[in-house]
Amino acid sequence: MFRYVLKRLVLMIPVILVTSLLIYFAMSLTGGDPAVFLAPENATDAQIQQIRVDLGLTDSFPVRYLKYMAGMLHGDLGTSYVTKRDVFRTFIERLPNTMQLAGASVLIATLIALPLGIYTAIHENTWKDTLGMIFALFGVSMPNFWLGLMLIIVFSLKLKWFPSGGKSGPLSLVLPALTVGLGLAALITRTTRSSMLDVIRQDYIRTARAKGCSEKRVIRRHALPNALIPIITVIGMQLSNVMTGSVLAESVFSWPGIGRLIFESISKRDTPMVTGSIIMCSILMVLINLLVDIVYAFFDPRIKAQYTHKG
Amino acid sequence: MEAVKKQEEQALKSRTLLQETWRRLLKNKGAVVGMVFLLCLIAAAVLSGFIFDYDTQVIGQNIKERLQWPSREHIFGTDELGRDIFIRLLYGARYSLVIGCGSVFIGLVIGVIFGALAGFYGGVIDQVVMRINDMLYAVPNIMIAVVVVSLLGTSTFNLLLALCVTCATGFVRITRAAVMTIRGQEYVESAYAMGLPTWKVIAKHIIPNCLSPIIVQVTLLIGTTIINASSLSFLGIGVPSPAPEWGAMLSSGRSQIRNAPYICVIPGLAIMFTVLALNLLGDGLRDALDPKLKK
Amino acid sequence: MKKALTIAMALLLASSALFATGAKEQPAAAAAPATDQSGIPAHKSDLIIGSAADINNLDLQKQQDQINNIVLKTTHQTLVRFTNEGTFVPELATSWEYKDDTHLVFHLDPRAKFNDGTPLTAEDVKFTYDMAMNSYVSSALAGLVSTTVVDEHTVELEIEKYNNEFIASIASVPLSIQSKHAYESGVKDPYYVGSGPYMFDEWVQGEYCRVKKNPNYWRDDPGVSDTITFRPIIEDSSRVIALQNGEIDVCVNPPINELSFLQDDKNITVFERAGSRLFYFAFNVSKAPWDNQKLRQAVACAIDRDSVLQVAVDGKGTPQTTILNRGLWGFYDEMPGFPYDVERAKKLMAEAGYPNGGIKTTLLIANSSPYTNIAQVVQANLKVIGIDVEIQMVDDATLKSTCKAGTQDLYLWRWNEDSKVDFVYRDLFYTGSGSNYHHYSNKRADELTDLVATEKDQDKRMQDGIELQKLLVEECPQVPLYIANLVIAYNKNLKGERLFGGGNHDWSHAYIAK
Repeated sequence: MFRYVLKRLVLMIPVILVTSLLIYFAMSLTGGDPAVFLAPENATDAQIQQIRVDLGLTDSFPVRYLKYMAGMLHGDLGTSYVTKRDVFRTFIERLPNTMQLAGASVLIATLIALPLGIYTAIHENTWKDTLGMIFALFGVSMPNFWLGLMLIIVFSLKLKWFPSGGKSGPLSLVLPALTVGLGLAALITRTTRSSMLDVIRQDYIRTARAKGCSEKRVIRRHALPNALIPIITVIGMQLSNVMTGSVLAESVFSWPGIGRLIFESISKRDTPMVTGSIIMCSILMVLINLLVDIVYAFFDPRIKAQYTHKG
Repeated sequence: MEAVKKQEEQALKSRTLLQETWRRLLKNKGAVVGMVFLLCLIAAAVLSGFIFDYDTQVIGQNIKERLQWPSREHIFGTDELGRDIFIRLLYGARYSLVIGCGSVFIGLVIGVIFGALAGFYGGVIDQVVMRINDMLYAVPNIMIAVVVVSLLGTSTFNLLLALCVTCATGFVRITRAAVMTIRGQEYVESAYAMGLPTWKVIAKHIIPNCLSPIIVQVTLLIGTTIINASSLSFLGIGVPSPAPEWGAMLSSGRSQIRNAPYICVIPGLAIMFTVLALNLLGDGLRDALDPKLKK
Repeated sequence: MKKALTIAMALLLASSALFATGAKEQPAAAAAPATDQSGIPAHKSDLIIGSAADINNLDLQKQQDQINNIVLKTTHQTLVRFTNEGTFVPELATSWEYKDDTHLVFHLDPRAKFNDGTPLTAEDVKFTYDMAMNSYVSSALAGLVSTTVVDEHTVELEIEKYNNEFIASIASVPLSIQSKHAYESGVKDPYYVGSGPYMFDEWVQGEYCRVKKNPNYWRDDPGVSDTITFRPIIEDSSRVIALQNGEIDVCVNPPINELSFLQDDKNITVFERAGSRLFYFAFNVSKAPWDNQKLRQAVACAIDRDSVLQVAVDGKGTPQTTILNRGLWGFYDEMPGFPYDVERAKKLMAEAGYPNGGIKTTLLIANSSPYTNIAQVVQANLKVIGIDVEIQMVDDATLKSTCKAGTQDLYLWRWNEDSKVDFVYRDLFYTGSGSNYHHYSNKRADELTDLVATEKDQDKRMQDGIELQKLLVEECPQVPLYIANLVIAYNKNLKGERLFGGGNHDWSHAYIAK
């Protein structure tokens, strides 16, 4: 098990290298010159040149990239062109916001999806099943930001229950989390449903029913625990997706998270900020997936055995 | 000889499998509804090109009639440039469908090629392909698209490219996994022994075997891609004006969300129902193709 | 000496007369109904400003964004303050005079102190300006040769040559006076040390930036609100809703088409005044076919500015003919120009050598409102005279870089200037200027620009200014579309605000009365 974890962590290194190179390269190729963007509009050429020197943009691309990577080896992800602040620190400052949002939305998604998935599985191939699945699919079928705007209009403007945006207390988390959560619910519902269907068809469930267990008890005590493993995997995967992928919800709700940070930094050509944040994101993603795998293995001895064999 | 026989057998099997799948798909109410909706949409997309004149009715402006609420004359109202939303919506179906299908198709071709290569040859090729794939998978979809578009500039074609990257990663995984399980099996070995070139082996034996997950993935991804395209429009880097792409229509209505919410709501609903239909169909296909759920 | 003073006075008078555009500036205490013993009116403790952009850097000379400057206006002060009535009034300097054409003397207020309690002296002024000359904002100080400390409260600036608008340069926020002592004593973030009525309190990037009252404030006009919080709410509709819900007190740049909701709300005031932000359609005149003047004029005639104004800002703005921002000194809009006239446009097309149109070109725009809407109207307008325009949407960074490099054809952009005409004439049209995205060059225009900057005879200067505007309109490197009104919405109890047509508001004395 330990060797497996170690291997996964070592495999992370090439991912980081490739990521950083591609992002850094893409950022250098994009149209806008960071110095032009930073300088006042009426800046002279000399002034812009001065800014380029300050930012180290006068070096050739390979030199700049190597310098950047050399910094990264020392754990230095660079300094933002725009804010002049440490990239790592800025990222860490924003991380809790994103984690809150991700956690809350996965929670909401699970609260909707688990019961719905079980319900649709029990009523397989009836109109209840169809309606339930259509309901679950609604969230994932809407553009995220559109759902956000609609929620703002209804719950913030008309009903005045929740603030419309920004981060101010727990209430402000509700609408963004709902927006993201509804989008996640579909996949979790689908997984729950098919996983439950798998389990329900097994012999021991039939046995439990034959023994005269109530249907509720059969589902709760016998079927659900065994159906849980794939569900946990999917939830974990979703968690890592939301961590980095909620740019739109974050911008609709002015939520100061990582997605918005990266997006705004791209439009400002803040190369160190973009590269650093995306590297951090991919590291997080790998770590979360690893964690999910470990949990998975913990739940399922067959998999654990497999890992230890393979090493 | 044996390989040919095997092939025939397989063809027979897949035919019955196809019929079986179709039969099961028709039993799924959601999938049928989705299919009917999509057929209507395709019809609308194709026919609108013959019915409406692009220059006058689709992008022709009429500032005097701007921001009119839905009425008998304009059943979905008019937008901020006085264009009829209903006509634009019908015409815009082709953009969403072309972008959705187009980028998934490009992604499919790329993904299957790389996935097959990685799975087939293993070793260094596998490592390189999979590490790049991991990386693309780890970076959020939208971010990749944003970077690609700012690199290439906004146009419908560049948008296709930006979105296909995301689609490709899934296909690489699916194909690679399928190829790896089939690679060592007897009938593939014998196909080799028959002297079939590698690409033929891949095309004839391997790809048909990963078709069902791919079909499901394609259906679901088209929906995701349509949403991603509209997200890019929302971020201001989608299909350039004045094309009536749904996402672009929706974003242009964003600034009018309170005085003329229909501009934003109607294209949003169009996207929602289309993607919902695709998802229902995809779910139906998944169940129909799933051997585990066979009764 | 006497002559110099007269010039300074004339400048002040001239600009104040020309700037009477319905400005609004209330002294904090005068309008207040109830006050406690200390003379401070009853107020809501925290004033919350909902801004449309993220605050990104508060190191004065390393940034240039409007929103940063608005925050810094509460914590820092300049030698001379530019009021929203278009005049320059004493701030840290009590008076100033030209010793001769190239030497300008400022007398500092001896009471002036920084928020750490140390006095603000001539040394700090020299330190700030020396630092600025090597910074991102050095172009704001163009023409400054050196700064000399005469005595503790007197500082002398040497400039290359006499310039009518040098004083205006000194009034820009990035040139606020910073503390030499703070930089030398190695304090963390020394740029936070300023002399304004507020001082930096807390900044959580992306969430809010808060300033609190400066306990060491030196003048007798302290701020009223205990703290002022700047909260970025990027999404326009959300910002309006936040104002209606009372989450913020001021909504900067409310979207025009949501104003009716705000106007119906009895707790909210919607304030509107003439703006200074000019939106224009422009040509890269160094690139064929747009080096053809007749062709440019044809395009100008083909653009329906009224429709543009309708679509872009719902008619809340003023169309204009000249290239100068409305409200600036010497604004002249009487030239015939090229009003919307399709027949004339077609005739000009023929004269330009394109009787049948047949031009394919691209229009580069930033991917934000109002450009996307304007672009679509212009695209339809130009199609009528046979010019096929493909719209290219890019982000600001790309637009600026592309225009600077001069590879674009047509583009849409804006210019916001409320104090210096030189920042329009020179920056946009002077040969080789960094922001001359038109890549326009005309000897006479350059001469006139220099004359407007240096001519002391104000009548002659006025004539030069008018000639220059006429020339630039005729040459047509750009088609001015409209000046957007300043629109801002706030809690009806807001007092003491100073609102500027270009959006550079001063919140240092604003508060919500109770």
